Amino acid sequence: MLSEKLIAEVLHAALSTGGDFAEIFAEDTYNTSINMINGIVEDGIQGRDHGVGIRIFQGVRSVYAYTNDLTPANLIRVAKEAAAALPGASSVQTLVLNRCAVDNMHLIKIRPSDVPQARKVEVMREAHTGAQGYDQQISQVTVRYLDTEQNILIANSEGLLTGDRRVRTRLAVQAIATKGNEKQSGFYGPGRHMGFEMFDLINPREAGARAAKIAVTMINADYAPSGRYPVVIHNEFGGVIFHEACGHGLEATSVAKGTSVFAGRIGEKVASDVVTAVDDGSIPNAWGSQNIDDEGTPTRRNVLIENGILKGYMVDKLNGRRMGMEPTGNSRRQSYKFAPTSRMTNTFIEAGESTVEEIIKNTEKGLFAKSMGGGSVNPATGEFNFAVMEGYLIENGEIVKPVRGATLIGKGHEILMKIDMVANNLARGQGMCGSISGSIPADVGQPTIRVSEITVGGREGGN
Amino acid sequence: MDIRKFKELVFAAGRSAGLEEMEIYAARTKELEVRVYKSEVDNYNLSDEGGVGLRARYAGKIGYAYTEALDDQSVEYLVNAVKANAQVIDSEDEIEFFAGSLSYPEVETYYPELDQVPAEEYINAALEFERTAQSADSRVDSVNWALTGYFSSDVFIANTEGLEQSFRQNLAYGFVSAVIRENGQVKTGSKSKSIYDWAQFDPAAMAREAVEEGLSLLNAETVPSGNYRIILRRDAARSILATFSGVFSAEAVQKGLSLLGDKLGTQIAAETVSLVDNPFVPHAGGSRPFDGEGVAVQKTDVIAKGQLNSFLHNLKTAKKQGVQSTGNASRPSFKSTVGIAPTNFYIEPGEDSYNALLTQLGDGLVIIDVQGLHSGANPVSGDFSLGAYGYRVENGKVVGAVDQITISGNFFTLLRDVEKVGSDLEFGLPGGAGNVGSPSLLIRGLSVAGRRGK
Repeated sequence: MLSEKLIAEVLHAALSTGGDFAEIFAEDTYNTSINMINGIVEDGIQGRDHGVGIRIFQGVRSVYAYTNDLTPANLIRVAKEAAAALPGASSVQTLVLNRCAVDNMHLIKIRPSDVPQARKVEVMREAHTGAQGYDQQISQVTVRYLDTEQNILIANSEGLLTGDRRVRTRLAVQAIATKGNEKQSGFYGPGRHMGFEMFDLINPREAGARAAKIAVTMINADYAPSGRYPVVIHNEFGGVIFHEACGHGLEATSVAKGTSVFAGRIGEKVASDVVTAVDDGSIPNAWGSQNIDDEGTPTRRNVLIENGILKGYMVDKLNGRRMGMEPTGNSRRQSYKFAPTSRMTNTFIEAGESTVEEIIKNTEKGLFAKSMGGGSVNPATGEFNFAVMEGYLIENGEIVKPVRGATLIGKGHEILMKIDMVANNLARGQGMCGSISGSIPADVGQPTIRVSEITVGGREGGN
Repeated sequence: MDIRKFKELVFAAGRSAGLEEMEIYAARTKELEVRVYKSEVDNYNLSDEGGVGLRARYAGKIGYAYTEALDDQSVEYLVNAVKANAQVIDSEDEIEFFAGSLSYPEVETYYPELDQVPAEEYINAALEFERTAQSADSRVDSVNWALTGYFSSDVFIANTEGLEQSFRQNLAYGFVSAVIRENGQVKTGSKSKSIYDWAQFDPAAMAREAVEEGLSLLNAETVPSGNYRIILRRDAARSILATFSGVFSAEAVQKGLSLLGDKLGTQIAAETVSLVDNPFVPHAGGSRPFDGEGVAVQKTDVIAKGQLNSFLHNLKTAKKQGVQSTGNASRPSFKSTVGIAPTNFYIEPGEDSYNALLTQLGDGLVIIDVQGLHSGANPVSGDFSLGAYGYRVENGKVVGAVDQITISGNFFTLLRDVEKVGSDLEFGLPGGAGNVGSPSLLIRGLSVAGRRGK
């Protein structure tokens, strides 16, 4: 993308004031997105993202600039303009770049650019049929197909010169069920760090049916009772609770500034004994995986919590300087338009020993949150709020009926202590995680877990 | 490459590739954002970026493509990608390439003096955010956001039917948030504002307001579950309105995704509620002279005294319904397809101040912020169940803070349950759903989940 000579010149320009570290992130990305509503392809768009981000550190100060005018003169001008925000004079010696090839852990069999648009649309039609055909109450089906091939180059003043190609594919189905004047929606959106071979693993028809099942179940459900009671959170996308309520607090972005409830607590007990939690960006072909992070550090398995004890954080270079810790391969960004920071990759609670049946049987009265919607959290207070997309009432150890409209609210660190049962059925689900360095693909995950008490907000106020 | 030259190359290449009609939508944006932490510039972001979107008709169908690189390779890429996409489109929607309105309004979107404010001023303002907030009270633990920024953008649209328009916009903004700690409690208070006249920007005042708000939330308690009379303060009301603003889009209506489909001309809200889309507000985030299809903008009374008068239209939905476009075609960026979005979208302010609303509330709750909008709100059914916090009010006086509650209800019911509309209209920072604003709203009743029993 850029010649080594130009890279060296830009890094020099970036260090022309008091900077002690400079980095270039160049990107050439090809995206495809196609939308189908009720079986009709409404629009399709392809695009090329193309630009360079330049980052400079001076101690723990950082400056970031980006442009998509990649002419040498402009890149050097941008580097100098960014450098001007830092005081001091240059102390840079000669720069030697060591080209470092990446071990590719995520084989891509079918590049999306080699697949005709018509073939992509066929897969969408199958998903549509799977959803539409599920039940007569399904009134709307929206199918979205996305693929992206991100080609990146990373170079820095420590001499690193590396690159990666990330290919991701996703199919997202939203089904709406109608009954009288009411509508309810269900969503399922599987994705992988894979090319079109993803559809060897994922049956689009089943994906559609899964979204439809949620919508149909919920349109026929009563409202959930509000109050504080035990909640059994199912596996796969149920891991969003850990992602939102705890994962963000384990990112160096919030730890370094002391705003996280987990700051300064390594070695302390932060969760009940049955909880072990991991972030692993190296799982082959997982949605949140990549060979290297967006600073060029190889991804790896990082144990965050082990048997309830806090073991580590997710750390990027800049916050690593603040915390005196090494980067963990978690520095990520949406694109060259964002400075990278510590983010989750594939984050999950490890499998335990109970079975789902045991957990339900041992719950006298509670909520079974089978599919979770998204959620949000205030990282300073740990307060979270997220929606239960598909919920059921548990009574006397049995699932008795579907309930809708429930939201779970509480504080992440309090919930961690209240997880009292963990099943053996670990699975991961896909999401897009939004934070200060943009929207990035991330897996959440867990086995089925039980939380002894959570505040459930529902439509039926008071009981 | 210059955008006008790039346009000529694309149109020429498109014509020889058999594209029938073509339209270029280009945007170029310069931005600066400064974040201060512990008296240091923690983040300093500069950018200069843009790109071009092409939409074109091929064999009767519309394809889209975009590129951020304005080079010869991209000319070919755009034309090929548009063609490939057009070939898989089923939609029979009639898309019109608009030749242009007879005239375009003058809208104040650009303030030349703002371009002259040096980067240092942004740094100083962010430092002042932090300094003032940190020293405002001993219970301020840290200032987790002290941010200032600026953007200026140029939008250009041209097509093969003769349309060629452009406009320039600039705005600055500030955001400050303080973390308050006392006796193991942690609360945050924040304040944000968009600014066009730098001289009127008072970061110290904003910082003090943020701290005051954080302090006011200390010693919060939950409340017994039940039905409460509620004031949705302007910011909370605005968040809820923004979340559900999509139901007023004619596109949602025509696709059956809005429950308002058959409600035109009927009373859907309390008489106190008038909702407008107004692109002429000087220096507001959503102001503009033309929309994403080059149609001259207009002010639209969406709800007038409770009656649903109009949906928001672009050319496609207007043609389908047999009306004129309301100038709400949106292209959030050159990468996006044409959709519908509000410009400046707000509930018209009433006559009562926020304090007067408190008096009229008597006993109840004030909600100042809601959480979980992207998950706890169903934009189709209107149902919401949201984490919330604010204050408890007795006899028209705030008597304490409230947290760990959820408020639940339905947007369409809420519109009917508005008893009073305050005079304190305020806009948020402009976002994807347009620039949304609201005054505080006094609501007859909302279901609140807190603790059990009394």
